[in-house]
Amino acid sequence: MNIDRLTDGILKGDYRSIARSISLIENSGYESRKEIISRIYRYGNAKIIGITGPPGVGKSTLIGNLAPMLEDHGKVSVLAIDPASPFSGGAILGNRIRMQAALTRRGIYMRSVSNRLYNGGLSEYTWDITKILEASGSDFVILETVGSGQADVDIMNIADITCVILAPGLGDEIQAIKSGMMEIGDIFVINKTDREGSYLAIKDIRESLNMSNKLSTPVIGLNSITGENYDEFVAHILKLDKKNFREKYYRKLKMVVMETIYNKYSKYIDSIEYNNGILDKDPYTMAEEILRNGLGKVRRTYNSHSEEENNHIG
Amino acid sequence: MDNGKNRKYTEAPIKILLAKPAIDGHDRGIFVLAKAFRDAGMDVLYAGLLPTPEEVVDTAVNEDVDVIALSLLNGAHMTAFRNVMEILKKRGINDIAVVGGGIIPDEDKPALEKMGITGNFGPGTPLSVIINHVKKRAMEIRKLRENEY
Ligand code: B12
Ligand SMILES: Nc1nc2c(ncn2[C@@H]2O[C@H](COP(=O)(O)OP(=O)(O)OP(=O)(O)O)[C@@H](O)[C@H]2O)c(=O)[nH]1
Ligand SMILES: [Mg+2]
Repeated sequence: MNIDRLTDGILKGDYRSIARSISLIENSGYESRKEIISRIYRYGNAKIIGITGPPGVGKSTLIGNLAPMLEDHGKVSVLAIDPASPFSGGAILGNRIRMQAALTRRGIYMRSVSNRLYNGGLSEYTWDITKILEASGSDFVILETVGSGQADVDIMNIADITCVILAPGLGDEIQAIKSGMMEIGDIFVINKTDREGSYLAIKDIRESLNMSNKLSTPVIGLNSITGENYDEFVAHILKLDKKNFREKYYRKLKMVVMETIYNKYSKYIDSIEYNNGILDKDPYTMAEEILRNGLGKVRRTYNSHSEEENNHIG
Repeated sequence: MDNGKNRKYTEAPIKILLAKPAIDGHDRGIFVLAKAFRDAGMDVLYAGLLPTPEEVVDTAVNEDVDVIALSLLNGAHMTAFRNVMEILKKRGINDIAVVGGGIIPDEDKPALEKMGITGNFGPGTPLSVIINHVKKRAMEIRKLRENEY
């Protein structure tokens, strides 16, 4: 079967197979998602490094420096998420351009995806894509979130190490960011230390960390144009163990299971409002019937769905 | 969101890579196109200035684009576009569409078409014509891929 060939390709680290699997997961919906993930989810053990922070602070440029340095310690792959336009749903996937020269030189796999208007800084399929990249033999997977400036806390649930990137000159914005992001960072970076005000920014973050009893959290100043101080940054990343690894893994697993169950049943739940025949049933009975009888039975009982709709559901 | 059903592969946003595979500083056109494609609902990548034909193909494969859009205004299209096509062929890639454009004299168009590069639109072409052409080529590719999996 073709899916087997694809997943074999993933496990061998073949870029074309990796790339096509990601598209199938993004584009073809549930069945492909399940077929691919069920074959590969046991494989791989990568350190997932999340790179998050407001727009334009230099996240992509930083990854262009970081990825080749990490490649000296193991295989690296990169996933970068760009925001979709709320008007057309299309996206300019601009993260790649800032890092591609550096990555191409080392043959590092990099994939850009649109968030397709999914909230929270990631895309709907980030977990699945990360699994694919892990299974392909990566020792490090670097994730760039959409730079939203708001609290993109979702990254914390996927990444083993979350790096919050800031830069001097964010002005008042930094206050808002601090409230959301101080909690999630394992490493704080003040990028663009060539700019005025970087010393103050570093000091400001240190003080906030002190107040939150996170004294030992590293705060590192970087110049991503010259590469200054990257040795220190890389050393911290290598030193940090996977934090709460099991807990995070199962939390995410539970979330995916829950979403999947909800999605499977949501049609039946949504259809309740326009189904006159069932108005006489109380919600608990309705829920129990949906769960007990399975979807096939429910279809017959409430009989409100076209054949076409039901065909999609297993 | 809607992972409860099996969405059709053909309905997802088209992914397109814009590239100028030779020394050519005329980059206005490609930025106009990038915005137009985004506004038409596509996911748009730009290969940057001066990618080699290998880099164009590598990027297209790793990002799994449906369409490569090659643009040159400097007169080098016959060699530069051909290089990209040859690398695709050498790697056995036949499920990515290639479209071209820029300053392309009419007499070159049949040869480009024969290589598999379609469109070849120049200045003054309405954006809607370009978008429709890209959509048409992308759908051919999506159908091909959909049958494969
Ligand atoms: C502006 C311009 C410049 C600017 C470029 C600024 C910039 N950053 O882009 C500057 C002054 C720098 C410049 C320099 C040169 N230019 Co000049 N330039 C032009 C000019 C007047 C307009 C180009 C333009 O921006 N058009 C507007 C954009 C939006 O349109 P477009 O690029 O054509 O793209 C549209 C379509 O062609 C199509 N399209 C384009 N690509 C693709 C790809 C695909 C896949 C598809 C489907 C469609 C498509 O869709 C686009 C949107 O509608 C043209 C003449 C002309 N009328 O085209 C000459 C022209 C392109 N330049 C020319 C030349 C020779 C040069 C120079 C070598 C020296 C010179 N004589 O000036 C240098 C070289 C620069 C370099 N390093 O490469 C020649 C090229 C001749 C040739 N190919 O045989 C032209 C044709 C002028 C001429 N008649 O001689 N130039
Ligand atoms: N002066 C200076 N500029 C930098 C530095 N790092 C990045 N930049 C520039 O900052 C701009 C934005 O960089 P990106 O890497 O695209 O930033 P980003 O955070 O990925 O941006 P988004 O993905 O759009 O949120 C670019 O023009 C970079 O060249 C730095 O250390 N110093
Ligand atoms: Mg970026």
